Amino acid sequence: MVAATGKVGNGWMGRIARWAGMVLLLAAALSCAGCGDDEPVVKVDLNKRERLMAPKPLEAITYAYLPQYSHTISFQRHRALLKYLRTATGLPLRQIFPDTFDEHIKMVQRGEIDISYSNPFVYLQLAKVGATAFARSVEPSGKPDFRGQVICRSDNPTIKSIADCKGKRWIAVDPGSAGGYLFPLGLFYDHGIHLHDFAEVDFAPGPGGKQEKVVLAVHAGAYDIGTIRKGTLDVVAQKIHRDDIRILAETRPYPGWVYSARQGLDPEVIRAVASAMFALDPDNPDQAAILGAAGMRRIIPARDEDYEPVRELVEKLGIQ
Amino acid sequence: MRFLSTLKFRTKLNLGICCILVVMAVLLLTLVGNMSAKLLIEENKKRGSALAQSLAARAVEPILAQDFLRLKNMVDEQVAMGDVVYVFVQNNRGHVLAHTFQKGFPLDLVKANGVADGDTVHIQLLANGAERIYDFASPVRVGVDRLGTVRVGLSKTRINASVHRQLTTMAGLFAGALFLTTIMGTLFARQVTRRLATLREHAEAMLMGNLDTQSGPDVGTHCWERMKCGLKSCPAYGDTRRRCWYIAGTLCPDCGDTKIGDRQSSCQLCRVYRESAGDELQDLAETFDVMAISLKTHIEELRSAERSLRDQERLMRTILDATPDRVSLVDTTMRYQGANLSFAASVGMELSELKGKTDFDLFEETVAEERHMAARDILQSGRRLDTQLRVVEESVERWYHVVCIPVYEEDGRIGGLLRTDRDITDLKGYEKQLIQAQKMESLGMLAGGVAHEINTPLGIILGYSQLLQEDVKEGSQIHQDLGIIEKQAKVCKKIVADLLGFSRQTDSAKREMCFNNSVMEAVSLVRHTFKLDRVEIVTELDDRFPVIYGDPEKLKQVWINLLNNSRDAMLRRGGAIVIRTRLDSPSGIVSLWVADTGEGIPADKLGKIFDPFYSTKPVGRGTGLGLSVSFGIIEDHGGQIMATSPVPASFNFPLSAEGEERGPGTLFEVDLPLDHADTGENTKANKPETGVTGNE
Repeated sequence: MVAATGKVGNGWMGRIARWAGMVLLLAAALSCAGCGDDEPVVKVDLNKRERLMAPKPLEAITYAYLPQYSHTISFQRHRALLKYLRTATGLPLRQIFPDTFDEHIKMVQRGEIDISYSNPFVYLQLAKVGATAFARSVEPSGKPDFRGQVICRSDNPTIKSIADCKGKRWIAVDPGSAGGYLFPLGLFYDHGIHLHDFAEVDFAPGPGGKQEKVVLAVHAGAYDIGTIRKGTLDVVAQKIHRDDIRILAETRPYPGWVYSARQGLDPEVIRAVASAMFALDPDNPDQAAILGAAGMRRIIPARDEDYEPVRELVEKLGIQ
Repeated sequence: MRFLSTLKFRTKLNLGICCILVVMAVLLLTLVGNMSAKLLIEENKKRGSALAQSLAARAVEPILAQDFLRLKNMVDEQVAMGDVVYVFVQNNRGHVLAHTFQKGFPLDLVKANGVADGDTVHIQLLANGAERIYDFASPVRVGVDRLGTVRVGLSKTRINASVHRQLTTMAGLFAGALFLTTIMGTLFARQVTRRLATLREHAEAMLMGNLDTQSGPDVGTHCWERMKCGLKSCPAYGDTRRRCWYIAGTLCPDCGDTKIGDRQSSCQLCRVYRESAGDELQDLAETFDVMAISLKTHIEELRSAERSLRDQERLMRTILDATPDRVSLVDTTMRYQGANLSFAASVGMELSELKGKTDFDLFEETVAEERHMAARDILQSGRRLDTQLRVVEESVERWYHVVCIPVYEEDGRIGGLLRTDRDITDLKGYEKQLIQAQKMESLGMLAGGVAHEINTPLGIILGYSQLLQEDVKEGSQIHQDLGIIEKQAKVCKKIVADLLGFSRQTDSAKREMCFNNSVMEAVSLVRHTFKLDRVEIVTELDDRFPVIYGDPEKLKQVWINLLNNSRDAMLRRGGAIVIRTRLDSPSGIVSLWVADTGEGIPADKLGKIFDPFYSTKPVGRGTGLGLSVSFGIIEDHGGQIMATSPVPASFNFPLSAEGEERGPGTLFEVDLPLDHADTGENTKANKPETGVTGNE
């Protein structure tokens, strides 16, 4: 400041200096207003437009995972496995994501999905359109089969046993779900409870993430009971507290998820993929990680006959 | 600065408020505008980043599912939000999967911004002509796998517009505040200036002499009403114009012994003060009122003192002017500071002209020098001057008694001189006359003594000369010589008798007598002789024949003396003598006038004609005792004799008596009392007194 440093002899000079100081201060303040517009700018012309060229689709062998979870989880689970398969077989494998079970089935039927990984119930329908099972997964428990679970809120006092489910509101995963609908339906059937005995039977809204939605619906109290594939609770462990949900019952084990090839797929491709899958060694830490990500212990060969128990259950329940 | 000082208070106040507000507005609008612009941009960057990241998360499923409808819906619903210019989604190979543009896609955008795999978002400012756009690029990721990129464009121009809107709102608020504060300032200033104007008006009224103004508000409830004290002896009790804290010596128990100066602080706790005191302006107005009241009191006291002083001055001036003494006052520089009328008249000036003059302005140089030197001596010595001064004014000698004293100031210094000149000429004359009278008295007594001693030998000489004449033959030489001795002895006896008469050592024989007869006897005695000298005697006697108590012989001698005196004044040319008598009954006086047509007597000699041995006649013609003896006889009769020359016109000299060679003439007047009760027999013959020795 001029007034502070300069030795001003008289009042007149002092006043001039004070005014000058104020003007400088004001000028500084005003100059600050111009700051901030010094970001680098990239010039574009939004009026110069062109029609977008459609990307040329790549030739690939398509691989789809029945959308029992969200696409993201499906992608995350099978990403490493697909990478391994692409490397091991040298085939251009690509994962695609149908939104619903029905779409999955139809895409297999239309030949849009070459290799399908589905539950045994859906497989029965794929088999009807010509798909053939060639491999099956071993559950993390070490068994090549899996179960369905009936869950309710831990604090629900009215439901103590399967029998208490009568007259309750039931949310299932999907009419095409094995662990989340078909197996528990068989369990209720065995306990003398039929579909019409429930106050309400609804399915989780799609697409994707249907198993989790059932858990969340029960947790929210929207439904009294829910049916899920065993292992789902681990998936939603990040979203809800595990103790809030009580497992009311489990179904008997049924053969696990199955890899099937569409009708007309090159057998060489099937063989190459199958052998690469079978070659995955759970004792190899890298490969165990690939299997672990996909929710499997290992992959073993499978035949259509392995799924007879499920076929029987379907027939018993009279479902198409 | 001069301009500012001429502005009205209200304008200054408003100007000050406006300046502050405008400066504040400029500073605040600039700073706040800048800050808020920055904040808004930051906020928008965060919002854009959040939007881009949210869209990136939401885009995972549609990309995986190759669901372009969902992607399209997703991007389109963002553009509905005001400042989002565009949104588009690229896959991991850079192909645009969905976008919000109509009719084609601006390919410039594809490479305008990008984000590395490890980053969550990258912001790039784009310039589309004049429009500025913030481009947010956020990767679509699942785990570590990159599925694509979401790009969101937010219009910076619109952000700026909202900043401008904000600034406009703030400017509007400031304008409103400016308007409101101006109104408030005007109202406030008007209240202040109104009260100041009242004060000024009252100050002007005070200048014009009106001290009965009241600037402060009405006192409202007075202290004695509030305190219910009933102390009627308290100076504040009943004073409706002053607050009690401006009055000294109040008797309220709450007031204590504090003085006026301490009152303001001690009164702070008083209930009356707390409820009645106002702001500083009210304090000023009330102090002003108190000042006006004290001023009025002081002025009245001053006026009274001035009046008293003026009265005293007038009295002093009257006293000074009444005295015939010449009084004057000079200061130490010898300049006149004051004088009385007598002094002013003596120097021929008005009183008002005297102030500041010096002796040299008033007197001729020698006199002035004298006075100046005398005054200087007194100023130096401090001694009073007391002397008699002889002054010849227009060839007339005058005497003055001069007193000159120093006038001392309060501090003991000499501040001036007071001089008094008293005219003592008359006193000097009396003094001289007294000496002459004493001389005459001694001479008279001596003459009387001598005459008494000579009288007996003269009688013997006369007797023997007469006896011897009888012894010798008549007609012989011896008889003739003895006749001469007898005649001369008789002359001597006559002189001795006159001397004795003058010294009143002869007996007087007073009785009731006719005044006119006495006069006529004397006239008939001398008429014949006078006729020979061509002197006519005209008598105009009072026909009431007044009778007085006196000595007929002596009075006859007086009349003959007067007639002889008149005849001698004619110097033998002849003329007329008029004798007139008149009785003044109310005064009890009978008067006689003797007027002649002679030479008259000069004025300077009139005073001496009654002195003994004074004569204008040649030696041997008169003794100089005639008028002195006449004076002594008249005085012995309790009367008085006066001479006037020339004869005044009021005497009405009869035309028939006037001769051809008529001189100025002399008039003698003799007044004698009819009543003889107070005519003392023992009255001594004294030298005539001033009142009876003629006229000046």
